[in-house]
Amino acid sequence: MELRISGLTKVYSNDVKALDEVSLTIGKGLFGLLGPNGAGKSSLMRTLAGLQNADSGEVFLNEIDVLKDPQEVRKVLGYLPQEFGVYPRITAYQLLDHLAVLKGISNKKQRKELVSYLLEKVNLYDKRHKSVKGFSGGMKQRIGIAQALIGDPKLLIVDEPTAGLDPGERNRFHNLLADVGSEVIVILSTHIVDDVRELCPQMAIMNKGKIVYHGAPEDSISSLKGQVWQKQIEREEMEDYRQKYQLISEKLIAGRPLIHVLSDSDPADGFRQVEPSLEDVFFTRTHGSVLTETA
Amino acid sequence: MFFTIFSLEIKRAFRSPMLYIFIFLLAFMCFMAVVSDSVVIGGSIGAVHKNAPHIVTVFTGVLSLIGILFAVAFFNNAALRDYQHQFDEIIFTTPLSKAAYFFGRFFGACILASTPFIGVYIGVSLGAWIAPIFDWVPAERFGPTPWAAYWKTYLLIVLPNVFFSGSLIFGLAQKWRSTIVSFVGALLIIIGYIISGNLLSDIENVEIAALTDPFGVRTYSVETRYATTVEKNTQSIDFTARIVQNRLLWLAVGSGILLLSFWSFSPQKNPSRKRKAKKVKAKIPELSSGLKHKPKLEQGFSGKFWSHFISFLKDAYTSIVRSTVFKIILAFAVILLATDLINGFEYFGLKSYPLTYKMVDAISGSSGIFMIIILVFFSGELVWRARLAHIDEVISATPHQAFSQLLAQWMALVAAGTILYGTFVVAAILAQLARGFTFIEMDLYIGEYFLNQLPNFLVFGALNLFIQVMVNQRYLAYFISVLVLFLFDILLSILDVQSNMLSIGDGPSTFYSDLNGYGPGLTGALWFNAYWISFSLLLLFIAGPFMYRLKVQGLASRWSQARNVFKGSYRISTLVTTVLFVSIGAWVYYNTQVLNTYRTSDEVEELLADYEKKYRAYADYPSPKISAISYAIDLFPKERRVEVEAQMTLSNSGTEVIDSLFFTLDDDWQTEISGKLDEAWFDEKFGFKAFALNEPLAPGKSIQLTIKNTLEHRGFENGRGSTSIIENGSFLNNGAVLPNLGYNKNAELGDRNTRKKYGLKPKDRMPELVRDTCTEACMVNYLTDGLSDWVAVETVISTSADQLAIAPGELIEEWQEGDRRYFRYRVDQASQNFYSFISGRYEKAQRKWKGIDLEVYYDAKHEYNVERMLDAIQKSLAYYTEHFGPYYHKQARIIEFPRYATFAQAFPGTMPYSEGFGFITNLEDEEGNNVVDAVIAHEMAHQWWAHQEIPALMQGGTFLTESFSEYSSLMVMKSESDPIQMREFLKYDIDRYLRGRSSETEKELPLLEVENQGYIHYGKGSVILYALQEMIGQDSVNAALSSFLAEYRYKNPPYPNSLDFMRHLEPRVPDSLHYLLDDWIRKITLYDFRLKEAEQIAQDGQWQVSLELESFKYYSDTLGQEQPTPVNEWVEIGFYRDSEEKELIKTEMVKVNKESQELVFTLNQPAQKVAVDPRRIYIERVVNDNVKSLEDTSEE
Repeated sequence: MELRISGLTKVYSNDVKALDEVSLTIGKGLFGLLGPNGAGKSSLMRTLAGLQNADSGEVFLNEIDVLKDPQEVRKVLGYLPQEFGVYPRITAYQLLDHLAVLKGISNKKQRKELVSYLLEKVNLYDKRHKSVKGFSGGMKQRIGIAQALIGDPKLLIVDEPTAGLDPGERNRFHNLLADVGSEVIVILSTHIVDDVRELCPQMAIMNKGKIVYHGAPEDSISSLKGQVWQKQIEREEMEDYRQKYQLISEKLIAGRPLIHVLSDSDPADGFRQVEPSLEDVFFTRTHGSVLTETA
Repeated sequence: MFFTIFSLEIKRAFRSPMLYIFIFLLAFMCFMAVVSDSVVIGGSIGAVHKNAPHIVTVFTGVLSLIGILFAVAFFNNAALRDYQHQFDEIIFTTPLSKAAYFFGRFFGACILASTPFIGVYIGVSLGAWIAPIFDWVPAERFGPTPWAAYWKTYLLIVLPNVFFSGSLIFGLAQKWRSTIVSFVGALLIIIGYIISGNLLSDIENVEIAALTDPFGVRTYSVETRYATTVEKNTQSIDFTARIVQNRLLWLAVGSGILLLSFWSFSPQKNPSRKRKAKKVKAKIPELSSGLKHKPKLEQGFSGKFWSHFISFLKDAYTSIVRSTVFKIILAFAVILLATDLINGFEYFGLKSYPLTYKMVDAISGSSGIFMIIILVFFSGELVWRARLAHIDEVISATPHQAFSQLLAQWMALVAAGTILYGTFVVAAILAQLARGFTFIEMDLYIGEYFLNQLPNFLVFGALNLFIQVMVNQRYLAYFISVLVLFLFDILLSILDVQSNMLSIGDGPSTFYSDLNGYGPGLTGALWFNAYWISFSLLLLFIAGPFMYRLKVQGLASRWSQARNVFKGSYRISTLVTTVLFVSIGAWVYYNTQVLNTYRTSDEVEELLADYEKKYRAYADYPSPKISAISYAIDLFPKERRVEVEAQMTLSNSGTEVIDSLFFTLDDDWQTEISGKLDEAWFDEKFGFKAFALNEPLAPGKSIQLTIKNTLEHRGFENGRGSTSIIENGSFLNNGAVLPNLGYNKNAELGDRNTRKKYGLKPKDRMPELVRDTCTEACMVNYLTDGLSDWVAVETVISTSADQLAIAPGELIEEWQEGDRRYFRYRVDQASQNFYSFISGRYEKAQRKWKGIDLEVYYDAKHEYNVERMLDAIQKSLAYYTEHFGPYYHKQARIIEFPRYATFAQAFPGTMPYSEGFGFITNLEDEEGNNVVDAVIAHEMAHQWWAHQEIPALMQGGTFLTESFSEYSSLMVMKSESDPIQMREFLKYDIDRYLRGRSSETEKELPLLEVENQGYIHYGKGSVILYALQEMIGQDSVNAALSSFLAEYRYKNPPYPNSLDFMRHLEPRVPDSLHYLLDDWIRKITLYDFRLKEAEQIAQDGQWQVSLELESFKYYSDTLGQEQPTPVNEWVEIGFYRDSEEKELIKTEMVKVNKESQELVFTLNQPAQKVAVDPRRIYIERVVNDNVKSLEDTSEE
């Protein structure tokens, strides 16, 4: 089981290059796709799910030409889009049942068992006869995960799955993915570094439509070894530091910025060397975009 | 603050294109209606100026209905914009006052929603300016620019309507924060309008209708129902009591709604959140499925199409039936149907039995608009359902075939339509049962479903889905759907395309008749259904590949997706459907365009114009007259074939020798003419055939001709086809079964403007009344137009064994040959050549009265009123033979015919009477006289007036037939009724007259010169003659009639004219009343009486009533221009015991000769009411000021 992407390019009508010569080969297991908002992750995911055309390039899932024959891919696809809503006036059970039919499970009894099993898995079995529309964001997301697992997907694409989940739910979800991840290809797109760190043996980082890194997370971290320095500064000093150093990231700790900078040698000035994290890799690879994350 | 919000609202809209589009839309429609006669808004314009104030008012009123959409657009936006853009939390945390926000937005939207109507004024002005320049419309059809109408309609129609509909829409939108609910509000208003329209169908309810119409459109039409051309040209809507009342009412209702919604308006609370909290079910849930391991699955993908289809169908179906919109539409639909069923008056305030086909008619009348709403709205909802719920990517990523979803959406729409229809049927059945009517024909409800409803759901469901899928923008698609549904047919009619193959979903009518079932159009209708259903399937196949699947859209990617889908079995299915559609289409085309042909209305016009230009000259060629005919007619109702062989005797009654004969043939018939003549030439295009006589026909001599004429029907037609020869209830006029002798004047185009278009001179409606001795002009009567005088007719008619055939005259013998039944009839008294041949499966009821056979031939289902009909014939015969003279036939028959037409007609001794009225009218609660009796009495009277005497073809002719008959009918009624009951009959006649003159398109004439104008000869003529007998006594009027008849009965020409009757009438009228003949018959006169004051004082066991009476009298010219003239009349004053105006305790004739005068009366008992002219014999436009209540001032 292998997914081969080569030279995938897509330019939107407003001249935004969503995908720029993307080439990747992804095998069994969990694969993390990391990138800031607007990096082109969702475009790539959609293209893989057959929901979007590419201008050029090829995608093959084993022998299946994904771009030419999306219907074949859909037969082995589990897909949780970034944006997942639900029909009004329909219960969780009805929704999953409907989707199970569409995924080719026509035996009624099996379908019932499967839907019950999945609802159990996402901890919503007791709410199966409730209208999905009234669910909280996290519950809806769990329904989304359940539907992606319907059938026996060979390719599971989950786009920003943990957004809106509380830590407990997120944990449960990670376990679920880890369960299926050993057998099939799972592509997990996210902008949350921890998701990837906790789950994925392989990953890629995307920025502005390009793959800027592809490999194992540990490898990427070790490549930064000894180059990441940290300091807590005052807010007014931000501009100065930005000028002086190659800033990787900044975050507020108790209202004061904690900055990471990239440097081959000790910048002194009160900086302290730290072990590089995947987050540092992410910010470095995505050109140190100034993303503010509250810790 | 208010003004800031207000002006912001307006400025914002003036920058967006919507407002200008709306203005343009209205301007364009009005412009087209002004410059062309084929675009019509709210009825044809006729003789009124094309830019008359009245027309401007009608345009504005009718377009107010469209204005509802503007109101929805602007008010909904004003109410919801901030919520939709999630700006509400920002705006409501500013220090803006609630009132400023609420009313600023509201009044801003008021101005905006009313602004598009400027388009009406622009369109009308522009049209009036441009049309004469380009010679589209002659300048004389325009009046001066109606400035007063512009501002008055804006003030009295546009603004109040916008205010009212706006308050409702704005209020609902504020309350529910939902666009859909706003639309529902709009629907509510339209339904109110329709309900008030149902009320209008009976004149008892006009005032309620005038008050309850939220648009004021009907108020204005009630206000102007009697307005004349001159008034329409000069007066627009104005601040009259009725109008102001209606406007104030709805302004008040609007203000109420507005205040209510202001009080309940709370910007902070978002009601939709409250709803979310509601849980679906409160059952204690099972906490675990007990499944710990993923079950084993069989997942397969081939042959899953139908299981996908079913799952999609369930989903689509539940989404429709559970939606609020659907429930609301259903509720409205039932309300509308109910008002139709409750208020649906048929005729003169009588209702028909709730026969199932009547119910089906009501349903198809009510369901159309709702069907369209459901199909248009839900097609969009379904196509966009996944996207609106943001579940589209998940659905798209499943391996289903998109077409299964499209098909499911289609069927869900059909199911929704079916539920709507089913609900209607249940409501209709309940209505039937509620009226104690148990003869419920389920097969008719089901038949309507499969013949009309289901095909409509299928075709329009597919069409709307197709538009939604292809356009791929929800609101634009809605707009295009509406455009296609409403404008496509208009476009076809402008292009003069009449083939039902191009008019989506159309086909021949299958209008149901108890006699003839679904009629001759049935086969065609079924084929057209097959044609349209295969067409809709094809549409779906075309739309399938373009269905939404890709998240990122664009022409190129949609196209490549479509190419990707369109292969394999999908391509084959599409091709098969195409072949199916094309072959059915070819078969339909062959039947409707090759085997049977038809002419479009423009082609017919042109043909008639050319016929007139080419052959008009032959009208003056000397021609013999038909003096006797003997028919052998074979009717084959099943095959719809007629074979006629007629022996015709033509006599030269003129003074010249005749050497040629001409016929105009009907190209539906195969005609062979033989005798001592040779065909000279034949113009096939016009069917005009000339013969040279072997021997010239000298004056006084006659010639025998044999005419064979055959009518056959093959295949099916574009329309229903002729209803003259049908399976049951065939009805053939004598004019139809034989070719027309000579040039056919009746075929000439009549409308002045149409004639002008083809370069023909305007045609007089009637030859002018000849005032001195009438010889030449009076040689021709108006029934047979000079082709014959009194004719002897004998008929042998055959039909299938299960039917009775009826021909004019007495039944001489009857026999059977094989499976054919034969009848021989002979006209016992030479009559006008004007009769019919009828065949059907009839029941026959009969009785004998003084040697005359009274017979009613009716359908077995319709025996309700048969006995009453026989009574009515008998009563009429009794009165007429006593007062007018003998009846000259041995039988008087009423024969029911299918309701393809709704009339009764008198032929000598025979009166065909439509199934559609009379036979099914419920008379159970009617005591005394009723309209069925009146119609029969009228038709019976024609046996004297039209069949014993027939007037010359000139002005005033129908006075001597129709007015006499209507008068006779009233007199039969009167012999059994009191004056109060008679007043009810006269009320309808006066209304008919006043309404008729209001919509006259050329000119109104005095009764003496009536030009076959129904409202004059029926409405006015009957009232005048009736009033006359009230003034001079019925014996005097009847004596005039009978002495006139005695002079002209069955008399050879010259035929009489209206002056000949005046000669008999005048001596019967005392000199003192001669002025009445001038006022009533020779002039157009209107009266206006008003009781200003009335007081009753008790005095010594007597009651003294003093009155102040105002009286006016006007002479009107032919356009309705009125000239006041001094009053000098005898008028009756009547006193009622009761306030219901049922019982007169005293009447007294008084002479009024002043515009205002005091009158004093003494009564022996107290009266509740006093009335001037209580019998309503004077023609007045306003009668509710004729009555005054009296206080009883007696001591107790």
